Amino acid sequence: MSTSVIVIIAVASFLLLMSIIIYNKLVRLRNESENAFASIDAMSKKRYDLIPNLVASVQKYMEHESGTLKDITEMRSRAASGTLSDDEKVSLDNKISKAMGGIMIAVENYPELKASDNFVQLQRSLNEVEEQLSASRRAYNSAVTNYNNSVQMFPSNIFAGLFGFRQKQLFEISEAERQNVNVKSLFN
Amino acid sequence: MKTLSEFEIFYRNELNAVLIDLDARRRRMVKRTFLIITLMCLFVPFSYIIVQILGEGFEDETRIYAFLILSFIGLSAGLIIMTKWARDKTFYSDFKKEIIERIVKFVSPELNYDGKSYVNYDSFRNSRIFMKSADRYRGDDLVHGMLDKTKIWFSEIKAEYETTSTDSDGKTSKKWHTIFKGLFFVADFNKHFNTSTVVLPNRLGKGPLANFFNKINLTRKEKHISLEDPDFNKQFVVYSMDQVEARYILSPALMQRLTSFKQKHKPPMYISFVNSLLYVAIAYKRDLFEPRYLSKIADYQKIKQYFEDIHLAVSIVEELNLNNRIWTKE
Repeated sequence: MSTSVIVIIAVASFLLLMSIIIYNKLVRLRNESENAFASIDAMSKKRYDLIPNLVASVQKYMEHESGTLKDITEMRSRAASGTLSDDEKVSLDNKISKAMGGIMIAVENYPELKASDNFVQLQRSLNEVEEQLSASRRAYNSAVTNYNNSVQMFPSNIFAGLFGFRQKQLFEISEAERQNVNVKSLFN
Repeated sequence: MKTLSEFEIFYRNELNAVLIDLDARRRRMVKRTFLIITLMCLFVPFSYIIVQILGEGFEDETRIYAFLILSFIGLSAGLIIMTKWARDKTFYSDFKKEIIERIVKFVSPELNYDGKSYVNYDSFRNSRIFMKSADRYRGDDLVHGMLDKTKIWFSEIKAEYETTSTDSDGKTSKKWHTIFKGLFFVADFNKHFNTSTVVLPNRLGKGPLANFFNKINLTRKEKHISLEDPDFNKQFVVYSMDQVEARYILSPALMQRLTSFKQKHKPPMYISFVNSLLYVAIAYKRDLFEPRYLSKIADYQKIKQYFEDIHLAVSIVEELNLNNRIWTKE
């Protein structure tokens, strides 16, 4: 065997090894980010489960907001149906956050409701779920950042292009969520 | 929370008089001890002279024995007198009771002090901060109580392990190594969680190489997690069993609080969150809450140190906002 053949074989096997390693790394990072997304889903579901309680405990008092309460119940059943795509989930989730934030602000007008044990407990549960949700979003963002780094950086970007790994979107903290934070501070 | 200027007033009004009394006792103790040691030193040549004078005519061997016996009796008597007459048996416990306990009560009347107890070994192990198990574990000065809604307890502890080595002659020697010495603080955290998250000082700094080495951690099962706050990452490395739970505990607000808490205090700080408890270990080279024997104790600068050490531990509750109970944990 001539030297050039050996060199070609060596280079080819090196490239093959590299591509296997990089491919596996990309798959692992993609799975991690998908896994993180699933945890957001689980937390969102936990939050949806609180909606019937929220509606039940506030509707007696909040007659003016009955439209909002109906909307949120409807959105909840849509979210629970499980037929939505990821993007739809995110946008519906944002709408629900906004509606819940609205209800929490409206509660300020009903001191009796605000002071009831039932509601205080519910608000604590909501705070907890919000905080867990935000934690899982941060975990997702960190997993996606790792994945995106690999997709964009040399040399793994070459393989990412070849094998069809695409960049993922980060979760942006929406305006509605920032408002939720304000609601938390009102509670203090 | 009490301020330093409030402490200064408290020191002048309440502690100073007690300290002057204690200082008199300390001085007496030191004087008597020195006196006895001097006498003991003088006794050895003195007994030699006695033996030389009285033992004339006796054999050398007898005289040597007589000298040794006489010195032995003299030195033993000295030691007995030292413990009976010079040592003030209650000085140490009085100091703890009159000074340390008062300072603890001054910092917060809700706190209790027990000079002989300490944070137990189980808590030390459960914290998962130090992975090496200790062969010797000691401590003292337990402070415990409920600050508003948060239960806390802390003490000074020292955990050590032993190694045995054999040299070329076949002699084995034992050596003690310190795992941790300093203040160990435990508090009931304001959120529920079931796994463990450990926050250690970042000794390696920033950059890809530091990151790489921080990631490799063979001793613990927790995985390295990089969080979003760059200032926090500069100070700490985080390992956790659960990505999401770690972020649930270490909210952006808590990361900022930890960073600023760390910046205010020099000593290395190890933090962990395990099963809804918060553990903070602050390493010190010096002994905490101990009286000094050879220098004046009625000294504001020295007593201030005790206050600051207790204050630092207690301030964790406020600094980390542990009384903020807006989640389901009451």
